Amino acid sequence: MNTQAVISCDNIEKQYKNFALKVDHLEFPKGFATALIGENGAGKTTLLEIIAGLRLEHKGEVTYFDQYNEEDRENNPIVKNKIGYTGTSNYFLPAWNLNQTKAVQKLLFENFDGDKYDAILRDLALTSGDAFEGDKKVSNLSDGNRTKLMLAGVLARDTELLLMDEPASPLDPLMRDKLCNLIHDYIASSEGEKSVIFSTHNIADMENVTDYAIFVENGRVVEQGFVEELKEKYIYVKGDAEDEAAVAPHLFDMSKGKYGFEGLVLAENIDKLAGYDLIRETPTLMQLSVGIMRANTKLGAGIR
Amino acid sequence: MKISQSSGIPIYQQIADYFRTEILEGKYQQGEYLPSIRGLAKDLKISVITTIKAYEQLETEGLVTAVQGKGYYVNAQDAEMLQEQHRRKVEDALMEAIKYARIAGMSDGEVTATLETLLEFEEG
Repeated sequence: MNTQAVISCDNIEKQYKNFALKVDHLEFPKGFATALIGENGAGKTTLLEIIAGLRLEHKGEVTYFDQYNEEDRENNPIVKNKIGYTGTSNYFLPAWNLNQTKAVQKLLFENFDGDKYDAILRDLALTSGDAFEGDKKVSNLSDGNRTKLMLAGVLARDTELLLMDEPASPLDPLMRDKLCNLIHDYIASSEGEKSVIFSTHNIADMENVTDYAIFVENGRVVEQGFVEELKEKYIYVKGDAEDEAAVAPHLFDMSKGKYGFEGLVLAENIDKLAGYDLIRETPTLMQLSVGIMRANTKLGAGIR
Repeated sequence: MKISQSSGIPIYQQIADYFRTEILEGKYQQGEYLPSIRGLAKDLKISVITTIKAYEQLETEGLVTAVQGKGYYVNAQDAEMLQEQHRRKVEDALMEAIKYARIAGMSDGEVTATLETLLEFEEG
Protein backbone atom coordinates (compact mmCIF):
# COMPACT_ATOMS: atom_id res chain seq x y z
CA MET A 1 0.00 0.00 0.00
CA ASN A 2 1.23 3.47 -0.81
CA THR A 3 1.50 5.69 2.21
CA GLN A 4 3.39 8.77 3.25
CA ALA A 5 5.65 8.72 6.26
CA VAL A 6 4.94 10.80 9.33
CA ILE A 7 8.37 9.89 10.71
CA SER A 8 11.35 8.43 8.88
CA CYS A 9 14.49 7.20 10.60
CA ASP A 10 17.75 6.79 8.73
CA ASN A 11 20.92 5.11 9.95
CA ILE A 12 19.96 5.48 13.59
CA GLU A 13 22.55 4.13 15.99
CA LYS A 14 22.64 4.35 19.72
CA GLN A 15 25.31 2.50 21.62
CA TYR A 16 24.99 1.41 25.22
CA LYS A 17 27.33 -0.76 27.24
CA ASN A 18 25.67 -4.08 26.47
CA PHE A 19 23.22 -3.07 23.84
CA ALA A 20 23.10 -1.23 20.54
CA LEU A 21 20.09 0.08 18.67
CA LYS A 22 20.67 0.06 14.95
CA VAL A 23 17.99 1.06 12.46
CA ASP A 24 19.01 1.56 8.84
CA HIS A 25 15.75 2.85 7.49
CA LEU A 26 12.32 2.91 9.07
CA GLU A 27 9.14 4.73 8.13
CA PHE A 28 6.04 5.19 10.24
CA PRO A 29 2.96 5.52 8.03
CA LYS A 30 1.03 8.79 8.22
CA GLY A 31 -2.63 8.62 9.22
CA PHE A 32 -2.34 5.27 11.01
CA ALA A 33 -1.67 3.80 14.44
CA THR A 34 1.66 1.97 14.61
CA ALA A 35 2.61 -0.44 17.37
CA LEU A 36 6.21 -1.09 18.39
CA ILE A 37 6.37 -4.66 19.63
CA GLY A 38 9.29 -6.49 21.18
CA GLU A 39 10.82 -7.96 24.30
CA ASN A 40 11.86 -5.94 27.28
CA GLY A 41 15.16 -4.31 26.44
CA ALA A 42 14.67 -4.75 22.69
CA GLY A 43 15.03 -1.02 22.05
CA LYS A 44 11.44 0.20 21.71
CA THR A 45 11.72 2.90 24.35
CA THR A 46 15.11 4.05 23.08
CA LEU A 47 13.68 4.43 19.59
CA LEU A 48 10.62 6.32 20.85
CA GLU A 49 12.79 8.57 22.98
CA ILE A 50 15.07 9.37 20.06
CA ILE A 51 12.03 10.32 17.98
CA ALA A 52 10.55 12.34 20.84
CA GLY A 53 13.84 14.16 21.36
CA LEU A 54 14.55 12.82 24.83
CA ARG A 55 17.80 11.23 23.66
CA LEU A 56 19.72 13.72 21.63
CA GLU A 57 22.99 11.78 21.54
CA HIS A 58 22.74 9.32 18.69
CA LYS A 59 23.87 8.76 15.15
CA GLY A 60 21.59 9.12 12.15
CA GLU A 61 18.63 11.28 11.28
CA VAL A 62 14.97 11.49 12.08
CA THR A 63 12.67 13.30 9.64
CA TYR A 64 9.36 14.69 10.90
CA PHE A 65 6.26 15.20 8.75
CA ASP A 66 8.38 14.65 5.64
CA GLN A 67 10.12 18.02 5.98
CA TYR A 68 11.57 18.79 9.40
CA ASN A 69 14.77 17.54 10.98
CA GLU A 70 15.67 17.15 14.64
CA GLU A 71 16.94 20.69 14.90
CA ASP A 72 13.56 21.95 13.72
CA ARG A 73 11.90 19.80 16.36
CA GLU A 74 13.98 21.52 19.02
CA ASN A 75 13.77 25.07 17.72
CA ASN A 76 10.68 25.39 15.55
CA PRO A 77 7.55 25.70 17.71
CA ILE A 78 5.40 24.49 14.80
CA VAL A 79 7.04 21.07 14.97
CA LYS A 80 7.06 20.93 18.75
CA ASN A 81 3.38 21.76 18.93
CA LYS A 82 2.47 19.01 16.49
CA ILE A 83 3.93 16.24 18.65
CA GLY A 84 2.63 14.84 21.92
CA TYR A 85 4.61 12.35 24.02
CA THR A 86 3.72 10.19 27.00
CA GLY A 87 6.37 8.10 28.71
CA THR A 88 6.36 5.35 31.29
CA SER A 89 7.64 7.55 34.07
CA ASN A 90 5.68 10.48 35.32
CA TYR A 91 6.98 13.81 34.04
CA PHE A 92 4.96 16.01 36.35
CA LEU A 93 6.56 16.98 39.66
CA PRO A 94 5.03 14.94 42.50
CA ALA A 95 4.31 18.05 44.56
CA TRP A 96 2.18 19.65 41.85
CA ASN A 97 -1.57 19.48 42.07
CA LEU A 98 -3.80 18.96 39.07
CA ASN A 99 -4.43 22.67 38.53
CA GLN A 100 -0.71 23.27 38.45
CA THR A 101 -0.17 20.56 35.83
CA LYS A 102 -2.68 22.46 33.72
CA ALA A 103 -0.94 25.81 34.27
CA VAL A 104 2.46 24.38 33.35
CA GLN A 105 1.23 22.79 30.14
CA LYS A 106 -0.58 26.01 29.19
CA LEU A 107 2.74 27.77 29.57
CA LEU A 108 4.68 25.18 27.58
CA PHE A 109 2.37 24.59 24.63
CA GLU A 110 0.63 27.26 22.60
CA ASN A 111 -2.14 24.94 21.54
CA PHE A 112 -2.96 23.56 24.99
CA ASP A 113 -6.71 23.78 25.69
CA GLY A 114 -7.29 24.01 29.46
CA ASP A 115 -11.04 23.42 29.24
CA LYS A 116 -10.51 20.37 27.09
CA TYR A 117 -7.95 19.12 29.65
CA ASP A 118 -10.50 19.45 32.44
CA ALA A 119 -13.13 17.75 30.31
CA ILE A 120 -10.84 14.80 29.49
CA LEU A 121 -9.83 14.44 33.14
CA ARG A 122 -13.50 14.39 34.14
CA ASP A 123 -14.23 11.86 31.42
CA LEU A 124 -11.37 9.58 32.43
CA ALA A 125 -12.11 9.90 36.13
CA LEU A 126 -15.70 8.93 35.50
CA THR A 127 -14.74 5.47 34.35
CA SER A 128 -12.36 4.84 37.25
CA GLY A 129 -14.72 6.17 39.88
CA ASP A 130 -12.05 8.55 41.12
CA ALA A 131 -12.82 12.19 41.62
CA PHE A 132 -10.23 14.40 39.95
CA GLU A 133 -10.09 17.48 42.08
CA GLY A 134 -7.98 20.43 41.13
CA ASP A 135 -6.02 20.41 44.38
CA LYS A 136 -5.24 16.71 44.28
CA LYS A 137 -1.50 16.14 44.23
CA VAL A 138 0.29 14.20 41.54
CA SER A 139 2.10 12.19 44.24
CA ASN A 140 -1.25 10.87 45.46
CA LEU A 141 -2.20 9.40 42.10
CA SER A 142 -1.84 5.73 41.25
CA ASP A 143 0.34 4.71 38.28
CA GLY A 144 -2.75 4.27 36.16
CA ASN A 145 -4.06 7.70 37.03
CA ARG A 146 -0.70 9.32 36.31
CA THR A 147 -0.82 7.74 32.88
CA LYS A 148 -4.31 9.16 32.43
CA LEU A 149 -3.01 12.57 33.46
CA MET A 150 -0.31 12.45 30.77
CA LEU A 151 -2.80 11.17 28.18
CA ALA A 152 -5.16 14.03 29.01
CA GLY A 153 -2.25 16.44 28.62
CA VAL A 154 -1.37 15.35 25.09
CA LEU A 155 -5.00 14.97 24.01
CA ALA A 156 -5.83 18.50 25.17
CA ARG A 157 -3.39 19.83 22.58
CA ASP A 158 -3.97 20.16 18.87
CA THR A 159 -1.31 17.69 17.73
CA GLU A 160 -0.73 15.60 14.62
CA LEU A 161 1.42 12.87 16.12
CA LEU A 162 1.18 11.06 19.44
CA LEU A 163 4.18 9.10 20.71
CA MET A 164 3.22 6.83 23.58
CA ASP A 165 5.54 4.52 25.44
CA GLU A 166 3.59 1.61 26.95
CA PRO A 167 0.39 3.57 27.47
CA ALA A 168 -1.68 0.45 28.18
CA SER A 169 0.53 -1.22 30.81
CA PRO A 170 -0.55 0.63 33.94
CA LEU A 171 -4.22 0.77 32.93
CA ASP A 172 -7.05 -1.51 34.04
CA PRO A 173 -9.09 -3.38 31.37
CA LEU A 174 -11.85 -0.76 31.33
CA MET A 175 -9.34 2.02 30.87
CA ARG A 176 -7.47 0.08 28.15
CA ASP A 177 -10.73 -0.12 26.26
CA LYS A 178 -11.07 3.62 26.75
CA LEU A 179 -7.50 4.17 25.55
CA CYS A 180 -8.36 2.31 22.33
CA ASN A 181 -11.40 4.54 21.88
CA LEU A 182 -9.26 7.64 22.48
CA ILE A 183 -6.80 6.48 19.81
CA HIS A 184 -9.68 5.73 17.41
CA ASP A 185 -11.17 9.17 18.05
CA TYR A 186 -7.81 10.83 17.54
CA ILE A 187 -7.11 9.05 14.24
CA ALA A 188 -10.70 9.64 13.04
CA SER A 189 -10.61 13.35 13.90
CA SER A 190 -8.98 13.94 10.51
CA GLU A 191 -8.99 11.75 7.43
CA GLY A 192 -5.34 10.78 7.28
CA GLU A 193 -3.45 13.62 8.95
CA LYS A 194 -3.12 12.26 12.48
CA SER A 195 -0.83 9.42 13.44
CA VAL A 196 -0.11 7.49 16.62
CA ILE A 197 3.01 5.53 17.47
CA PHE A 198 2.93 3.45 20.62
CA SER A 199 4.93 0.65 22.15
CA THR A 200 3.05 -2.12 23.90
CA HIS A 201 3.20 -5.55 25.50
CA ASN A 202 -0.59 -5.62 25.71
CA ILE A 203 -0.92 -6.80 22.15
CA ALA A 204 -4.29 -8.51 22.41
CA ASP A 205 -5.83 -5.45 24.07
CA MET A 206 -4.45 -3.13 21.41
CA GLU A 207 -5.00 -5.27 18.30
CA ASN A 208 -8.13 -3.43 17.23
CA VAL A 209 -6.31 -0.11 17.03
CA THR A 210 -3.11 -1.41 15.49
CA ASP A 211 -2.77 -0.70 11.77
CA TYR A 212 0.95 -1.13 11.35
CA ALA A 213 3.26 -3.26 13.48
CA ILE A 214 7.01 -2.94 13.85
CA PHE A 215 8.81 -5.77 15.64
CA VAL A 216 12.00 -4.83 17.39
CA GLU A 217 14.35 -7.46 18.79
CA ASN A 218 17.81 -6.95 20.22
CA GLY A 219 18.09 -3.43 18.81
CA ARG A 220 17.05 -4.36 15.27
CA VAL A 221 13.80 -4.15 13.34
CA VAL A 222 13.11 -7.80 12.51
CA GLU A 223 9.70 -7.54 10.84
CA GLN A 224 7.20 -4.84 9.98
CA GLY A 225 4.06 -4.30 7.95
CA PHE A 226 0.39 -3.47 7.91
CA VAL A 227 -1.31 -5.97 10.17
CA GLU A 228 -3.68 -7.17 7.43
CA GLU A 229 -0.69 -7.85 5.16
CA LEU A 230 1.24 -9.66 7.90
CA LYS A 231 -1.82 -11.83 8.44
CA GLU A 232 -1.52 -12.91 4.81
CA LYS A 233 2.23 -13.31 4.92
CA TYR A 234 2.03 -15.78 7.81
CA ILE A 235 -0.41 -18.62 8.41
CA TYR A 236 -1.02 -20.21 11.79
CA VAL A 237 -1.06 -24.01 11.63
CA LYS A 238 -1.84 -26.70 14.17
CA GLY A 239 -1.04 -30.35 13.73
CA ASP A 240 -0.70 -33.73 15.42
CA ALA A 241 2.45 -34.84 17.21
CA GLU A 242 3.19 -37.58 14.63
CA ASP A 243 3.75 -34.97 11.86
CA GLU A 244 5.87 -32.72 14.03
CA ALA A 245 9.33 -33.78 12.86
CA ALA A 246 8.40 -33.70 9.16
CA VAL A 247 6.67 -30.32 9.35
CA ALA A 248 9.16 -28.59 11.65
CA PRO A 249 11.72 -27.58 8.96
CA HIS A 250 9.06 -25.64 7.05
CA LEU A 251 7.71 -23.69 10.01
CA PHE A 252 8.83 -20.18 10.85
CA ASP A 253 8.19 -20.80 14.50
CA MET A 254 6.85 -23.78 16.37
CA SER A 255 5.71 -24.61 19.85
CA LYS A 256 5.23 -28.22 20.90
CA GLY A 257 2.81 -29.77 23.31
CA LYS A 258 1.96 -33.27 24.43
CA TYR A 259 -0.70 -33.81 21.77
CA GLY A 260 0.61 -31.76 18.90
CA PHE A 261 2.29 -28.62 17.72
CA GLU A 262 1.33 -25.21 16.48
CA GLY A 263 3.15 -22.31 14.95
CA LEU A 264 3.63 -19.83 12.19
CA VAL A 265 4.46 -20.75 8.63
CA LEU A 266 5.24 -18.32 5.85
CA ALA A 267 2.36 -18.37 3.35
CA GLU A 268 4.90 -18.93 0.55
CA ASN A 269 5.87 -22.24 2.20
CA ILE A 270 2.37 -23.52 2.85
CA ASP A 271 2.36 -25.70 -0.29
CA LYS A 272 5.20 -27.74 1.20
CA LEU A 273 2.81 -28.82 3.95
CA ALA A 274 0.07 -29.94 1.54
CA GLY A 275 0.30 -33.61 2.50
CA TYR A 276 -0.18 -33.18 6.23
CA ASP A 277 -3.39 -33.00 8.19
CA LEU A 278 -3.15 -29.49 9.58
CA ILE A 279 -5.57 -26.84 10.74
CA ARG A 280 -4.84 -23.50 9.10
CA GLU A 281 -5.86 -20.25 10.69
CA THR A 282 -5.32 -16.56 10.16
CA PRO A 283 -2.99 -15.61 12.99
CA THR A 284 -4.05 -13.04 15.56
CA LEU A 285 -1.64 -10.18 16.16
CA MET A 286 -0.74 -11.88 19.43
CA GLN A 287 0.15 -15.16 17.67
CA LEU A 288 2.14 -13.24 15.07
CA SER A 289 3.98 -11.33 17.76
CA VAL A 290 4.87 -14.35 19.85
CA GLY A 291 6.08 -16.25 16.78
CA ILE A 292 8.13 -13.39 15.40
CA MET A 293 9.56 -12.51 18.79
CA ARG A 294 10.44 -16.12 19.57
CA ALA A 295 12.09 -16.61 16.19
CA ASN A 296 14.27 -13.57 16.81
CA THR A 297 14.78 -13.58 20.53
CA LYS A 298 18.16 -12.93 22.01
CA LEU A 299 17.28 -15.56 24.58
CA GLY A 300 17.90 -18.09 21.85
CA ALA A 301 15.90 -21.21 21.11
CA GLY A 302 16.01 -22.28 24.74
CA ILE A 303 12.57 -20.93 25.61
CA ARG A 304 10.73 -22.73 22.86
CA MET B 1 -23.76 -3.98 10.90
CA LYS B 2 -22.63 -6.65 13.32
CA ILE B 3 -18.99 -7.66 13.31
CA SER B 4 -17.95 -10.95 14.88
CA GLN B 5 -14.39 -11.33 16.12
CA SER B 6 -14.61 -15.10 16.39
CA SER B 7 -16.74 -16.28 13.48
CA GLY B 8 -13.73 -17.46 11.48
CA ILE B 9 -14.66 -15.04 8.70
CA PRO B 10 -12.04 -12.28 8.53
CA ILE B 11 -13.36 -8.94 9.73
CA TYR B 12 -12.54 -7.17 6.46
CA GLN B 13 -14.57 -9.84 4.67
CA GLN B 14 -17.57 -9.23 6.91
CA ILE B 15 -17.41 -5.50 6.19
CA ALA B 16 -17.00 -6.02 2.45
CA ASP B 17 -19.93 -8.48 2.45
CA TYR B 18 -22.11 -5.98 4.28
CA PHE B 19 -21.43 -3.08 1.93
CA ARG B 20 -21.64 -5.31 -1.16
CA THR B 21 -25.16 -6.33 -0.16
CA GLU B 22 -26.08 -2.74 0.62
CA ILE B 23 -24.79 -1.56 -2.76
CA LEU B 24 -26.37 -4.38 -4.76
CA GLU B 25 -29.67 -3.81 -3.01
CA GLY B 26 -29.50 -0.19 -4.12
CA LYS B 27 -29.19 1.30 -0.63
CA TYR B 28 -26.30 3.40 -1.91
CA GLN B 29 -26.88 5.65 -4.88
CA GLN B 30 -24.42 5.92 -7.72
CA GLY B 31 -21.76 8.47 -6.76
CA GLU B 32 -22.58 8.27 -3.07
CA TYR B 33 -19.59 7.91 -0.76
CA LEU B 34 -19.15 5.00 1.63
CA PRO B 35 -18.51 6.03 5.26
CA SER B 36 -15.03 7.51 5.76
CA ILE B 37 -12.34 4.92 6.40
CA ARG B 38 -11.29 6.27 9.77
CA GLY B 39 -14.83 7.12 10.84
CA LEU B 40 -15.95 3.56 10.14
CA ALA B 41 -12.93 2.12 11.94
CA LYS B 42 -13.78 4.20 14.97
CA ASP B 43 -17.48 3.28 14.92
CA LEU B 44 -16.78 -0.44 14.52
CA LYS B 45 -13.82 -0.34 16.93
CA ILE B 46 -11.52 -1.98 14.43
CA SER B 47 -8.23 -0.89 12.93
CA VAL B 48 -8.10 1.56 10.02
CA ILE B 49 -6.17 -0.90 7.88
CA THR B 50 -8.97 -3.48 8.18
CA THR B 51 -11.53 -1.00 6.78
CA ILE B 52 -9.16 -0.08 3.98
CA LYS B 53 -8.78 -3.73 3.09
CA ALA B 54 -12.57 -4.16 2.98
CA TYR B 55 -12.99 -1.13 0.72
CA GLU B 56 -10.12 -2.23 -1.52
CA GLN B 57 -11.84 -5.55 -2.02
CA LEU B 58 -15.03 -3.76 -3.13
CA GLU B 59 -12.88 -1.68 -5.46
CA THR B 60 -11.36 -4.82 -7.03
CA GLU B 61 -14.87 -6.12 -7.56
CA GLY B 62 -15.68 -2.93 -9.46
CA LEU B 63 -18.35 -1.82 -7.00
CA VAL B 64 -16.65 1.35 -5.80
CA THR B 65 -13.94 3.73 -6.97
CA ALA B 66 -11.28 5.28 -4.74
CA VAL B 67 -10.60 9.00 -4.91
CA GLN B 68 -7.35 10.12 -3.34
CA GLY B 69 -8.10 12.07 -0.18
CA LYS B 70 -11.87 11.81 -0.56
CA GLY B 71 -12.74 8.19 -0.02
CA TYR B 72 -14.66 5.57 -1.94
CA TYR B 73 -17.77 6.30 -4.02
CA VAL B 74 -20.24 3.81 -5.41
CA ASN B 75 -20.08 3.05 -9.12
CA ALA B 76 -23.03 2.78 -11.43
CA GLN B 77 -24.21 -0.79 -11.02
CA ASP B 78 -24.70 -2.34 -14.41
CA ALA B 79 -26.62 -5.53 -13.70
CA GLU B 80 -25.42 -7.24 -16.87
CA MET B 81 -21.80 -6.35 -16.19
CA LEU B 82 -22.05 -7.65 -12.65
CA GLN B 83 -23.46 -10.91 -13.85
CA GLU B 84 -20.68 -11.14 -16.41
CA GLN B 85 -18.12 -10.59 -13.66
CA HIS B 86 -19.61 -13.34 -11.57
CA ARG B 87 -19.68 -15.69 -14.54
CA ARG B 88 -16.00 -15.06 -15.07
CA LYS B 89 -15.32 -15.85 -11.42
CA VAL B 90 -17.18 -19.13 -11.78
CA GLU B 91 -15.07 -19.98 -14.83
CA ASP B 92 -11.85 -19.11 -12.99
CA ALA B 93 -12.79 -21.26 -10.03
CA LEU B 94 -13.73 -24.19 -12.26
CA MET B 95 -10.44 -23.87 -14.16
CA GLU B 96 -8.67 -24.09 -10.82
CA ALA B 97 -10.69 -27.19 -9.98
CA ILE B 98 -9.82 -28.78 -13.33
CA LYS B 99 -6.16 -28.07 -12.70
CA TYR B 100 -6.26 -29.99 -9.44
CA ALA B 101 -8.36 -32.74 -10.99
CA ARG B 102 -5.60 -33.30 -13.57
CA ILE B 103 -2.98 -33.45 -10.83
CA ALA B 104 -5.08 -36.00 -8.97
CA GLY B 105 -5.56 -37.98 -12.20
CA MET B 106 -9.36 -37.74 -12.13
CA SER B 107 -11.24 -38.55 -15.32
CA ASP B 108 -13.59 -36.01 -16.90
CA GLY B 109 -16.50 -38.17 -15.86
CA GLU B 110 -15.36 -38.13 -12.24
CA VAL B 111 -15.01 -34.34 -12.31
CA THR B 112 -18.52 -33.77 -13.63
CA ALA B 113 -19.88 -36.36 -11.22
CA THR B 114 -18.22 -34.51 -8.34
CA LEU B 115 -19.68 -31.23 -9.52
CA GLU B 116 -23.13 -32.74 -9.81
CA THR B 117 -22.90 -34.25 -6.34
CA LEU B 118 -21.84 -30.89 -4.93
CA LEU B 119 -24.69 -29.12 -6.72
CA GLU B 120 -27.18 -31.61 -5.31
CA PHE B 121 -25.65 -31.22 -1.88
CA GLU B 122 -25.98 -27.43 -2.11
CA GLU B 123 -29.63 -27.66 -3.20
CA GLY B 124 -30.53 -30.36 -0.73
